[in-house]
Amino acid sequence: MGAIEAPDLSYAALAPLLFVFGAACVGVLVEAFTPRSVRHPVQVTIALVGTIGAFVATLLLAGTEEVTAAGALAVDGPALFLQGTIAILGALSVLLFSERALDPARSAFVAAAAVPAGSVRDRELATSERVQTEVYPLATFAIGGMMLFTAANDLLLMFVALEVLSLPLYLLSGLARRRRLLSQEAAVKYFLLGAFASAFFLYGLALVYGATGSVRLSDVRVAVVTEGGSALMVIGLGLLVVGLMFKASVAPFHSWTPDVYQGAPTAVTAFMAAATKVAAFGAVLRLLYVAFGTADWTWRPLVYALAIASMVVGAVLGLTQTDVKRMLAYSSIAHAGFLLTGVIGLGPDGTGYGLAATMFYLVTYGLTTLGAFGLLTLVRDGDGEATHLSQWAGLAQRSPLVAALMSFFLLALAGIPLTSGFTGKFAVFRAAIEAGAWPLVVTALVASAIAAFFYLRVVVLMYFSDPAPDGPTVGVPGLPTTIVLAVTAAATLVLGVLPGAVLELAESAAVFVG
Amino acid sequence: MGLLLLLHLLAAVGAPLLVRWWGRQAFLALALVPAAAFGWVLTRLGTVVGGGEVRETLSWIPALDLQIALRLDALALTFAALVTGVGALVLVYCARYFEPDEEGVGRFAAVMTAFAGSMLGLVLADDVLVLYVFWELTTVFSFLLIGGSGAKLAGRRAASQALLLTTAGGLAMLVGLLMISGVSDSRLLSEIVADPGSGPVMVAGTMLVLAGAVTKSAMVPFHFWLPAAMEAPTPVSAYLHAAAMVKAGIYLVARLAPGLADVPGWRPVVLGLGVATMLIGGWRSLRQNDLKLLLAFSTVSQLGFLITMVGAGSQELAAAGLAMTIAHALSKSTLFLSVGVIDHATGVRDLRLLSGLGRRMPVLAVIATLAAASLVGLPPFLGFVGKEAAFTALWDGGLPDRVSAVVVLVGLVLGSVFTAAYCARYLWGAFARKPGLPDSAPEELEHHPGPLFLAAPAVLALAGLAAGPASPLLDHLVVVYAETLPLIAPEAEHLALWHGLQPALALSAVTLLGGAALFALRSQFTRLQHRLAVGASADEGYWNTLQSLDRLAVLVTGTTQRGSLPTYLGTILVVVLLVPGTVLLARTPWPDQWRAWDSPLQALVGAIVLIAAVLTVRIKQRLSAVLALGITGYGLALLFVLHGAPDLALTQFLVETLSLVVFVLVLRKLPKDIGARHRPAERTVRAAIAVCVGLVMAGAGAAALGARTATPVSVAIPELALEEGHGQNVVNVILVDIRAWDTLGELSVLVVAATGVASLVFLRRRTGAVDRASEEEASGGGDARRAPKAQWLSASGTLAPQRRSVVLEVATRFLFHTIVVFSLFLLFSGHNDPGGGFAGGLVAGLALVLRYLAGGRYELGEAAPVAPGLLLGGGLVFAGGTGVVALLLGGAVLESAYLEADLPVLGHASLPTALFFDIGVYLIVVGLILDILRSLGAEQDRQEDEEDPIDAAPDEVIVR
Repeated sequence: MGAIEAPDLSYAALAPLLFVFGAACVGVLVEAFTPRSVRHPVQVTIALVGTIGAFVATLLLAGTEEVTAAGALAVDGPALFLQGTIAILGALSVLLFSERALDPARSAFVAAAAVPAGSVRDRELATSERVQTEVYPLATFAIGGMMLFTAANDLLLMFVALEVLSLPLYLLSGLARRRRLLSQEAAVKYFLLGAFASAFFLYGLALVYGATGSVRLSDVRVAVVTEGGSALMVIGLGLLVVGLMFKASVAPFHSWTPDVYQGAPTAVTAFMAAATKVAAFGAVLRLLYVAFGTADWTWRPLVYALAIASMVVGAVLGLTQTDVKRMLAYSSIAHAGFLLTGVIGLGPDGTGYGLAATMFYLVTYGLTTLGAFGLLTLVRDGDGEATHLSQWAGLAQRSPLVAALMSFFLLALAGIPLTSGFTGKFAVFRAAIEAGAWPLVVTALVASAIAAFFYLRVVVLMYFSDPAPDGPTVGVPGLPTTIVLAVTAAATLVLGVLPGAVLELAESAAVFVG
Repeated sequence: MGLLLLLHLLAAVGAPLLVRWWGRQAFLALALVPAAAFGWVLTRLGTVVGGGEVRETLSWIPALDLQIALRLDALALTFAALVTGVGALVLVYCARYFEPDEEGVGRFAAVMTAFAGSMLGLVLADDVLVLYVFWELTTVFSFLLIGGSGAKLAGRRAASQALLLTTAGGLAMLVGLLMISGVSDSRLLSEIVADPGSGPVMVAGTMLVLAGAVTKSAMVPFHFWLPAAMEAPTPVSAYLHAAAMVKAGIYLVARLAPGLADVPGWRPVVLGLGVATMLIGGWRSLRQNDLKLLLAFSTVSQLGFLITMVGAGSQELAAAGLAMTIAHALSKSTLFLSVGVIDHATGVRDLRLLSGLGRRMPVLAVIATLAAASLVGLPPFLGFVGKEAAFTALWDGGLPDRVSAVVVLVGLVLGSVFTAAYCARYLWGAFARKPGLPDSAPEELEHHPGPLFLAAPAVLALAGLAAGPASPLLDHLVVVYAETLPLIAPEAEHLALWHGLQPALALSAVTLLGGAALFALRSQFTRLQHRLAVGASADEGYWNTLQSLDRLAVLVTGTTQRGSLPTYLGTILVVVLLVPGTVLLARTPWPDQWRAWDSPLQALVGAIVLIAAVLTVRIKQRLSAVLALGITGYGLALLFVLHGAPDLALTQFLVETLSLVVFVLVLRKLPKDIGARHRPAERTVRAAIAVCVGLVMAGAGAAALGARTATPVSVAIPELALEEGHGQNVVNVILVDIRAWDTLGELSVLVVAATGVASLVFLRRRTGAVDRASEEEASGGGDARRAPKAQWLSASGTLAPQRRSVVLEVATRFLFHTIVVFSLFLLFSGHNDPGGGFAGGLVAGLALVLRYLAGGRYELGEAAPVAPGLLLGGGLVFAGGTGVVALLLGGAVLESAYLEADLPVLGHASLPTALFFDIGVYLIVVGLILDILRSLGAEQDRQEDEEDPIDAAPDEVIVR
């Protein structure tokens, strides 16, 4: 038996990952060794340095195309583009996490998660100003996992990344300070269903390995070309897709989404909705385009059907929601369908606009969703956030600015021109049309119209209804949330009016290596 | 042109500010914007009449090929002039329509200006996407205008109805436009019309585009939104619902007719719906008592007329249609504005309550009469010219099919009769003195209309009057557009007031006389209408559809999104069954031969496992269910034995036992029974899904095994284990040597898990001190006489007497040390025989379990008076240290060496360095079990004993 060679690591190409994981590890140490009083500012700083550092690193690395870490990691255009997106979304989410001006109890996270909800101790803690700072290392680990997910050139690494990003998310969902049982239920549901999804992914991985003899995506592609798709490989691919689509909350694997989005602390929901989707689609794109791009007959019908199911389910079920968070959850399901429409837009030999369009859509969707959820944290009543639709009636009279911003974000989600949502939708639809997926685009248009109806309903409610007498108040956000809202709103506008630069970046980045 | 659009946008943004500064006078300033656009459009008249056109292309998003292509040709110019001209006048009118201090005027001004801009953009757009964008913008702005401040329910309903219908139509149109442009290979309307594609996609696309036009222009069966939208303020009705927005559909049809009129299906749809709409609108209009509703249905009727003409696809009808469009816009806006003046002055719009208004507002009466005359088609108004041209064209056979020309002509004449009748009724209702009412009703006028208020309707009415005699001039413009269409009749007539005596003149006379007759017999006619009234209306159908959609959505949500985890999981599993499962069934290469068993014993064990599995899900009590579950695990261990893998079997047995203990410790705190709230049907479905998924997974596993082509790694391992690890127990060598890195990682996970469990239970102190039995606790409380006399264990006296068991205490006393020694034997012998650090640790842990069960929490403290953290940490140090030492000695990390010596007494002994690694494993496993026992066992007991208030609801806890 020969000695095992240490894998070659290109540290420069790994810089974004090193930044984030470094920050996460330092965060753990800080949690152990610094006094409670200074932990919060220190943790926020570390998390921000990690994520923003990672973003800058992706910018500096732009144009890199290499495979490193013994072929397990691909640092290429899509990976860097999506890593940068995740880093920015992550940094903004960290800012949302750190908001302390809205809740009288200072933080949206429970001070001690292990205390049974409703117990005496819990009631004591609920009003204390003690804050939970473990969320920052957790979130940073999740961000790191997501960034790794988009760059994984190897099914095993992809699975590891999947777990690294999922486990902190399960925990984070259960950490709400208010309505704790709902939050814990969300965490348990997410965890149990997520565990099943992971198991399917692993099973699929094993079958694909069995069928092709490798877990490396490039080798899988070679095996697919030389040996053709065997039944085992197709089954394996199906199971892999199930696992990934669960993370991307694509119908019919979406069922956890509304419950978890509703139960989790809103800042975490924002993070999940925005960043997880980017990561999951990054992995979907890499898996389908790199490993199975030459055998697209194996996945195209499946993705086609899933896209339609997701759009229809998201749009139709969204109609009946009375909770704004749940409504946005269904919107996220519908958007997953629109994103799959872009995934379909893969031309022969890797041409076509599908990749660039989907990546651009991810940027626009992530930023807008983050902003929308960020706004939800502002509207509160005595019981925490007021998310019931009826409580939003007449909000324009209480706070014209919040209502205007929310309307803007909702219009962007609906895909109204001059917002980023329109540009993104247009890009993916065009990609699908180029690939000849007419019926899909028609379905997507109809679904957009239905979805637009429930977005507009909120707008109408805010502007055209009388405010309830004991309705919620609109909190004055602190600096972190203000920054998040300003950045997301500006991005939504700029990407709607002058998206040229980012679109071109996405197009130039849309080449996979490996 | 882009500049004009930008100007509108800026004005809209600045409008609220202007209104705040100048009050309602700000409308006069805002009116300058469309007026400027009107002026610019007129300056291009020369170019366009000369056959030229103005084009402008602004690149928007080059990466997506999105560009704003604008084009001003004869058709666009006609509509642009209408939109801007009427827009400017309506804004002037607004300056007096609103009260000086009315609320929400700023918003209204902004939206109105923005609407004017988007309408202009719509008629100028050449790119289909730009057209769509402006189309939807007009929809959204009209929604805001109809909804107004949102104070009235009817307004909101009307607004959302209009929005829903026109957006749906708009979307259909977008799909259609994309299909057409795909087939025609261009996104520019000018190029599509010049060279349209063909084929079924083209037909489908055309129909979808028509759906957009039909909804926007309120054709039957979508006509009902327009009357409902009359909730909007009058300037909105005058502009959107007479001159601008509803004309967008007419514009689209007119724009596409030159290219698409010959697409199969175009003419039947356009002509059929047009004529039907004209008749239904006219008929319904005659039933209205509200002046505004009367006008709304009249608009519906006229839109039908217009679409019939511009959509016919012949040169002569198109020219007539364009002229009629102008005439209708001018006169209908005037009429709406007049109603606004009446409403403003009297506060009443119901013609049954108005009387003698003409005498009191003579100027208004004259203006309205002029406008009505043009609508009816009296000479010398423009309406007369247009109608005359239309009748002539049809009389001469302006359609490819002679019969349809006749049918359409009859329909249009009948519709025009209605037109004449309701116009007369409008004038009579608004201004005449009526029998049965006082001479002037209402008594007092709230406001007298000032000159500026009347300016807009006056200008519009006079324009309609002036355009009639000037129609030959208008003809120059209209012909430029009309000539893009084929001539079907023998010759094209030019627009003119007088063509001499000809059939059309007679038809006009017929319509006028018919209208007069209908008006004269209005009471009889009303009775006839009542008798013919149909129960169902399109409006009701719309609301019913919406309601059933809502109900369906609620139903679907209720069944699929109940928050029930089993349902969610079931959905996912069904998909797994459907997709990979089907592939498995359909295409899997199954192994060539199947072997049921090696020995019948295996079958027996298999049967037991199956029965236990079934029992697990059937049993209602948690504890029993867990025991049944345990049997499946023991069965598996038996299978290992039968396969000749005693080491695996040993580990499996131990793990299974320990899990049972942990289960029991946790289950103490849970309700005894598993809640059974599911219906049998539900359970059956779930069972079916579960069994199927199990079969699919097992099938996939079998297929995977059958598909093996490479040599299994297990072939080489035993030899490798002996060579590299100097051990015969393959499992142990894999753990501590071949894959020692993995084990190290797993050990760390184990440590983290143990710490995690402990810190979840020990809430306040992170780990908790070791409970040692002290004197005062030794009494145990309760009735001391019933306690066993002899002291077999050191701390069992702390237990309450009723919880003590002599048999267990004695057995523990005898067994504990033996078990610990056995565990050490397993640890040291594990390299070559069954055993190893993991198994040894588990055995030692079970010994501790025994002590705890027999003697309670203090007994546990006596048995293992060390903090579990110490064991865990020490174990990690041992395991990691092995690697470090190997490194220091010059080997690779975790590389094992082998020492051999002949010792006295023990004889030949061998010592692999991997043993130290195994000791680490042993310590960590013991530490883990201790941690579990202390947290889930002892700490729970303590909380119960001391009635720690951490439990939220103590009632839920069942006492053992």
